[in-house]
Amino acid sequence: MVEIKDEQVASNFYFDKSFDCHAVKLLPGEYFVTDKDLLLVTVLGSCVAACIRDCYSGIGGMNHFMLPDGGEAGSPLNASARYGTYAMEILINQLLKLGARRSNLEAKVFGGGNVLDGLTVANVGQRNADFVLKFLQTERIRVVAQDLVDIFPRKVYFFPKSSKVMVKKLRNQHNTTISQRERDYRQRLYKVDAGGEVELFS
Amino acid sequence: MAKTILTVDDSTSIRQMVAFTLKGAGYEVIEAVDGQDALEKANHHRVNLVLTDINMPRMDGLKLLELLRELNHYKTIPILMLTTESGDEMKAKGRAAGATGWLVKPFDPKRLLEVIAKVIN
Repeated sequence: MVEIKDEQVASNFYFDKSFDCHAVKLLPGEYFVTDKDLLLVTVLGSCVAACIRDCYSGIGGMNHFMLPDGGEAGSPLNASARYGTYAMEILINQLLKLGARRSNLEAKVFGGGNVLDGLTVANVGQRNADFVLKFLQTERIRVVAQDLVDIFPRKVYFFPKSSKVMVKKLRNQHNTTISQRERDYRQRLYKVDAGGEVELFS
Repeated sequence: MAKTILTVDDSTSIRQMVAFTLKGAGYEVIEAVDGQDALEKANHHRVNLVLTDINMPRMDGLKLLELLRELNHYKTIPILMLTTESGDEMKAKGRAAGATGWLVKPFDPKRLLEVIAKVIN
């Protein structure tokens, strides 16, 4: 069994000159939560990002993930669904730890573009988009904005304090950085068994 | 007679997956949405094992664990923690409060059933 270590707190901080504020850039497999006036930025291909915030306190966060392949399609227990649920839960748990209330949470979701060529599983982006919407519906977290699927990568800017989101569709890509990062992430997930460590105390 | 498991998680998605796994293996399942809800249900049902999350509103899993261990029926039954928390400090707290075991999410259904089978008897 391979222990999942892919959901990591983003650590790429910088000062964004365009918006004149401190920012955090999230890469595939990362999440970040904050109660500060920060900008969270990510670039999505077929991955999805959920921007979730407490609509009263402004405590908010973002994740960036995709589902791994695995298990029986349609089974509620397949590795894909279990990993996706984990990726969402870890973001929500961190928000609650910072003081957000579950009943106040609202979400904006982005990504899931069908932009990766040559993959064995068709509609990777669609699958990611379907998952995140279904998860939020099950958890009764309101989706107040979405920009999903399509064929273009997106750059997403999320300001948790104000809830503002700006999305830029990247119609012209000058290099393969986005798809290469997602391929690397996908390769890591491919090996994942979607089961965490177990320890018995007695 | 089927053994009864109380599963506690504020995430509906997790509760559904855990309940599906346990029912498929022949267990009776009682679901609770947080520690407070679990404590009330634990007092009204004969439970053979508790499987609880930690980070939950109203009452977290560690507080639930402490309070259950004070009840006569729950002094010795297995209580497993199923959580995203994997830090040693948190595990030590769980162990000190009387947890039987610690499973880090995402859970592997087969492994979960193996662990339960091992401790429920």
